Amino acid sequence: MAKFLVKKILAMIPMLLAISAMVFFALELTPTDPINYLISPDMASSAGNIEALRESLGLNDPAIIRYFRWLFNLIRGDFGYSIISGTSIREIIMLRLPATLELALVSLVLSTIIGIGIGLLSAINQNGWIDYVGRVMGVVGISIPQFFFGIVVIQIFAIQFGWLPFGSRMAPGQTAFFDRLHFMVLPAFTMAIAMTAALLRYTRNSMLDVLNKDYIKLARSKGIPEWKVYLKHAFRTALRPVLVILIFRLPILIGGSIVIESVFSWPGIGSVILSSISAGDYPVIMVTTLLVAAAILISSIFVDIATALLDPRVRFE
Amino acid sequence: MQNELILKVENLHTSFTVGPLNIPIVKGVSFEVYKGKTLAIVGESGCGKSVTVHSIVQLLPRNGRIDQGTVTYIEDNEEVRLDQLQRYGKKMRKIRGENIGMVFQDPMTSLNPVYRVGDQVAESLMQHFKMKKKDAMKEVISMLKKLGIPDPESRINDYPHQFSGGMKQRVVIATAMICNPDIIIADEPTTALDVTIQAQIMELMKELQVKYNKSLILITHNMGLVAEMADQVAVMYMGRIVEYGSLTDIFEHPSHPYTKALLRSVPVLGKQEGELLETIPGSTPNPLDCTVGCEFADRCEFAQEKCRIKDVPYRQLTPTHQVRCTLFEEHPEVVK
Repeated sequence: MAKFLVKKILAMIPMLLAISAMVFFALELTPTDPINYLISPDMASSAGNIEALRESLGLNDPAIIRYFRWLFNLIRGDFGYSIISGTSIREIIMLRLPATLELALVSLVLSTIIGIGIGLLSAINQNGWIDYVGRVMGVVGISIPQFFFGIVVIQIFAIQFGWLPFGSRMAPGQTAFFDRLHFMVLPAFTMAIAMTAALLRYTRNSMLDVLNKDYIKLARSKGIPEWKVYLKHAFRTALRPVLVILIFRLPILIGGSIVIESVFSWPGIGSVILSSISAGDYPVIMVTTLLVAAAILISSIFVDIATALLDPRVRFE
Repeated sequence: MQNELILKVENLHTSFTVGPLNIPIVKGVSFEVYKGKTLAIVGESGCGKSVTVHSIVQLLPRNGRIDQGTVTYIEDNEEVRLDQLQRYGKKMRKIRGENIGMVFQDPMTSLNPVYRVGDQVAESLMQHFKMKKKDAMKEVISMLKKLGIPDPESRINDYPHQFSGGMKQRVVIATAMICNPDIIIADEPTTALDVTIQAQIMELMKELQVKYNKSLILITHNMGLVAEMADQVAVMYMGRIVEYGSLTDIFEHPSHPYTKALLRSVPVLGKQEGELLETIPGSTPNPLDCTVGCEFADRCEFAQEKCRIKDVPYRQLTPTHQVRCTLFEEHPEVVK
């Protein structure tokens, strides 16, 4: 197991390097010139000033040199500065990450419990009323786009009834978790809907598949109670594909959801990504993209570990 | 007969609901199982053999239902009506685990891939006899030893994928036998195994059955196996037993045209070159098309008008031999 882990982690390094190079050079190819965002229009006439600024920012060096300069700074822990606001990117992330983490964690936990729970009940009572409810929930949740759902719940619960705030994370001056809990209700709910639906469908299908297996019949022929047949024999084997999609969702804990965060003006990483893209703030784009990529790579290691723990056939190969 | 009756199935009807249709799969099956004896149920694929035995232990799929008939299990002179028990109720579960063991067709898929073999065999011991895991494991080891699995002490900690097909089937048999049941139902136990292993497994089952005086219900489509193993034989076709008798009745005096055809289509060594193995013409009909008369009529060389127009009763040829065919109208009808 330890050997396997070390191997996986070492394999991550070239992947991350490749991704960093891709992010850097892809942005290099875009026609955006950060200088245009940095200077005010009335300064545009003085070409000498612009050139001096370019030189001082190191923008005139060859791309390859700039890449390695950026990379070494990154390894040293220096993420650079936003060219728009001038604040350190590390600071931006430290400020925004808690918001994203909080929202994503709540919707992840919510959708996991509800999705797996209803998926299980749906499979066990196949074609019963709970299964119909589950199936409708699955189709609706998957097919309605999140931004639309977000707008609908804002319209109903924030504007019509005025029960809940329609955006942002907290009222000015409030910091306690319970003070801002009601700000989270709508975005967390909206975010959880689609995740719940996918998980529900996965759990249901995987369970139905396993329940038709011969070893379930054998388990029943041993005379063990039905709940044991479902939970011990069926769910344990059905869990594997479900866990894979669950773990591949972990990166939203770091990257947030761009759609949800912008619909609810939630001040998380997702909205940072969006605003930095529209502003051409390329140092921020590079770091956030790299962060999300690293999160995805780490999740894939988790998937390997979880699969090995759940399925002995994988462990011994 | 001095034989001790242990299981009695009478006029069993089982049907499956598929969409709006109710399809009868088992139509009035009756047979008896005696202590220490083997009943073989033979027939083509899809004739309702498996459904019949699954009805006995109520392990039908969700859309399957017993419509009519009785299944009686006799334990120490006490009769238990299995068909009246709740499918997954306590009593039915107790009988399934303790009194009737089951061996399924494909050992490759019969064991749960994520649990250790020893735990899977021990599960019913811990469930029914409330044994501690340590004691249960001792039982499991001695059972696996009896079944000829080498080095059981360490193999109980292996997972099913580390076993070969024959060894897996031994484990499945161990699961069926571990609670010392009276009846073992083996649903085509060797179909998925290769021929040399088939012989080993069947010998093993025969040995266990004789040594521990178990009753065996053997489902198969292999006539050779029937000849080796069975005391009683029930030949099934399209949800009905068309001929029922002792081993000698069936092999020495096969009476129903279907039984005869089955026996003729057994491959034997020593056929002349160019001589073809006989097959039964036509294919099994759709169960929905069989409404009245003999289901085999369309494939039968002796079929007459009367086979198709009204229900064909069972005829008693000898005290042990029954057949459902219009060719034997001089024999008395079976009284139920």
